[in-house]
Amino acid sequence: MPSFLYRYKEGFILIGMMIIAAIVTRGVYLQPGNLTDILRTIAPVAIMAMGMTFVILTAGIDLSVGSILALGSVGSAALVMQVLPGMPIIVAVPIAILAALLVGGLCGAVQGALIARLDIQPFIITLAGFTGFRGLAKLVTDNRKIQLNTDGAQELAAWLSQKEVIIGILIIVCIVSYCLLRFTVFGRYVRAVGDNERASHYAGLPVRRMKLAVYSLSGMLAGLAGLLVCARNRTGDANFGIMTELEAIAMVVIGGTSLAGGRGSMSGTILGALILGTVTNVLGLNNVDSNQQSILMAVIIILAVALQKTRQSI
Amino acid sequence: MPSLPTDQPVTPSRTGHFPVLEPLLIAKGVTKRFGGVAALSDGCFTLRAGEVHAIMGENGAGKSTLGKILAGVFPADSGQMLLDGKPFTPANPQASQASGVAMIFQELDLFPHLSVAENMVIANRAFDEGLLARRDRMRAFIQPHLQAVGFQGEFHQPVGELSIGDQQLIAIARALSMEARILVMDESTSALTEDAVQVLFFVIRNLKAMGVSIIYVSHKMDEIFAICDHVTVLRDGATVGDAKTSETDMARLIQLMVGREVDRSAQAVSHAIAKEVLRLEDVSSASVRDVDFSLHAGEVLGIAGLVGAGRSEIGRILFGLDPLLAGKMTLADAPYAPRSVREAKRRGVGLVPEDRKGMGLMMQMSVRENSSLSVLHSLVSAWPFSVIQTRREAEEDRLVSERTRLKSADPRAPVHHLSGGNQQKVLLGRWLQVNPDVLFLDDPTRGVDVGAKEDIYRLVEDAAEAGKGVLMVSSELPELLRCCDRILVMNHGRQVGEVDARATSQEAIMQLAAAPRPS
Repeated sequence: MPSFLYRYKEGFILIGMMIIAAIVTRGVYLQPGNLTDILRTIAPVAIMAMGMTFVILTAGIDLSVGSILALGSVGSAALVMQVLPGMPIIVAVPIAILAALLVGGLCGAVQGALIARLDIQPFIITLAGFTGFRGLAKLVTDNRKIQLNTDGAQELAAWLSQKEVIIGILIIVCIVSYCLLRFTVFGRYVRAVGDNERASHYAGLPVRRMKLAVYSLSGMLAGLAGLLVCARNRTGDANFGIMTELEAIAMVVIGGTSLAGGRGSMSGTILGALILGTVTNVLGLNNVDSNQQSILMAVIIILAVALQKTRQSI
Repeated sequence: MPSLPTDQPVTPSRTGHFPVLEPLLIAKGVTKRFGGVAALSDGCFTLRAGEVHAIMGENGAGKSTLGKILAGVFPADSGQMLLDGKPFTPANPQASQASGVAMIFQELDLFPHLSVAENMVIANRAFDEGLLARRDRMRAFIQPHLQAVGFQGEFHQPVGELSIGDQQLIAIARALSMEARILVMDESTSALTEDAVQVLFFVIRNLKAMGVSIIYVSHKMDEIFAICDHVTVLRDGATVGDAKTSETDMARLIQLMVGREVDRSAQAVSHAIAKEVLRLEDVSSASVRDVDFSLHAGEVLGIAGLVGAGRSEIGRILFGLDPLLAGKMTLADAPYAPRSVREAKRRGVGLVPEDRKGMGLMMQMSVRENSSLSVLHSLVSAWPFSVIQTRREAEEDRLVSERTRLKSADPRAPVHHLSGGNQQKVLLGRWLQVNPDVLFLDDPTRGVDVGAKEDIYRLVEDAAEAGKGVLMVSSELPELLRCCDRILVMNHGRQVGEVDARATSQEAIMQLAAAPRPS
């Protein structure tokens, strides 16, 4: 495969899929309203996928993000209902966002600290988080949903569910994540730790601190996703976000990031999110059975990873 | 530790005859290259039936390579091998095993989670497993061999729970079960305790009486004189001599091992000044004892010794990887006891590890990224974003690549494309950027081509000239003699000598390094 095609393969795959999508949906796909719909739909999981990219780049994994999303949605709902009713939107929104980041970040930090200090595999710790955080959400809500049924709460939620706002937040997270990975010391360290953790330690990198940081970041973004989902559904529910951790991982993997760590990019994850969003959208527009959708998704994931294998020598 | 049944009668050889000392396995002119490095250029060897024959030499002399070729682990590039007078060219270990030659690897190739019995029968040509593993059949098969090596443990025990000594006995028993007539033992005692070594010797004597011939690859002088009948010496990839152990001595063997021309004209000039930058007094860690030396600015202090003598371990103490258990370290007139790599780095100590792939470089990252990694925090623009200043990074990398004479195509190319010598230069460049006051180089020219070696020697001299204190571990004595002002010699985890590089010889260093374990 010519190196130019290979290097930007995710971009070409996306363009190819968009063409097919346009054909198959007889142009409906390309309507601006539809395209922005895709962005709005994938936003929460895509945001989590960007945090997941950092984690996977360090040769780790975060299975808990779906559960942190649930906890985040519950926490946001409670906050909006209890604390924020009297406040104007311009004050309430930043507070809600900050609170979501904090709750998620705390969950992530706990896991990150355990992974860094105890040297236990991330799979196991985040698996514990996967069950633990959702359990915590159920405990706190007594297994009931938290409805946003006051006027103030509904108004805030409606504001946060506007297409422009959600897409805006998504774009901001994309830009920040991209720059963080590409241009900063942090991003370089993340790749180094995933490439060769021992050598990173010998080179004087703060390996433990890096691990704590990436899991905290992943948790933060999962909390933010929880806020968005809560706003969209006007509800805080401990059952939100089921399976989303796997969707996020799928986006990262389709985007070309290796699960072994050290190799990958944020632009890849973004493209992976768009590819996944396109497929779901097109299948939905054509009223394809959701079970068939799942199978097709599986095929796409395998194809995407297989395409990466063609040029690997390590 | 198993106690051997010393009252058990020694069994006669398999054929029922007493061992006759005729040539059994002959190798002539064997060569082997790995990449750009010639591990063997002229390996010659004659094993007589029923003898215990040592292959000895310095680190990197090619003895392990020759042993592996004899055992069929990989084929030779050229040369001739004869077994029982017939050409012997095993394509793989299974083929050698079929001919009766088996290898006992230094890193034992057993499965730690499987039991003793399972390890004995797995993939064993001599045992017909059938579809189901029948305990009684397994037991009947393995019992005689385990008994022959004196293993007294439980057959169902996971091998990983046994002592290294016992694991070795299992490996030997397995080889015997495959009807091995020749065993190649590669540095078998490197991980054994004193007691386990004696047990191994007992087993070897028993095997010899059973008619098994043994090729004993080792660099340990005392063991070779204790257990072997004959010894072949390798030097720089070629056989330089052989003798009956009863007809030679340590001095003669050392002379064969190191007796090469040393080009004194390339000797580095001394840049040492009186200012002391590092002092170790009676320092001990878990792996070394009684290390005592001082290092001056501009001085190059070599560290010599055989593999496992504790050379790299000195670096681990200096670099905060192993804790100081006894003694005192002083760095730039201040007490020094680093508890982490980051602390060592902060105090001005750097370490270039010997395994550049596993412990040094990020293989998927570029030359430039690897080079700047340890100083990245200083190549950033103002807070709060810690964005990397790529132009400064590129410039620093260019400067340091000039100093290391790194001729790579593209500083943005991933490091795994580079040759060994260039990779080593990238790693050295990283530490040049850090610019520590004390630099510990662990085997910096290992696996590096001749041209790059010269560049690295020049780099060491440049560093000394700039007033750094340099410690250099190496297995190549000529290299140490050329680059260093003084040389420490390590032996079995202890410092046994400190010599002036300009007034000593390879033989003198090797005498200290290879002397029997000090009591």
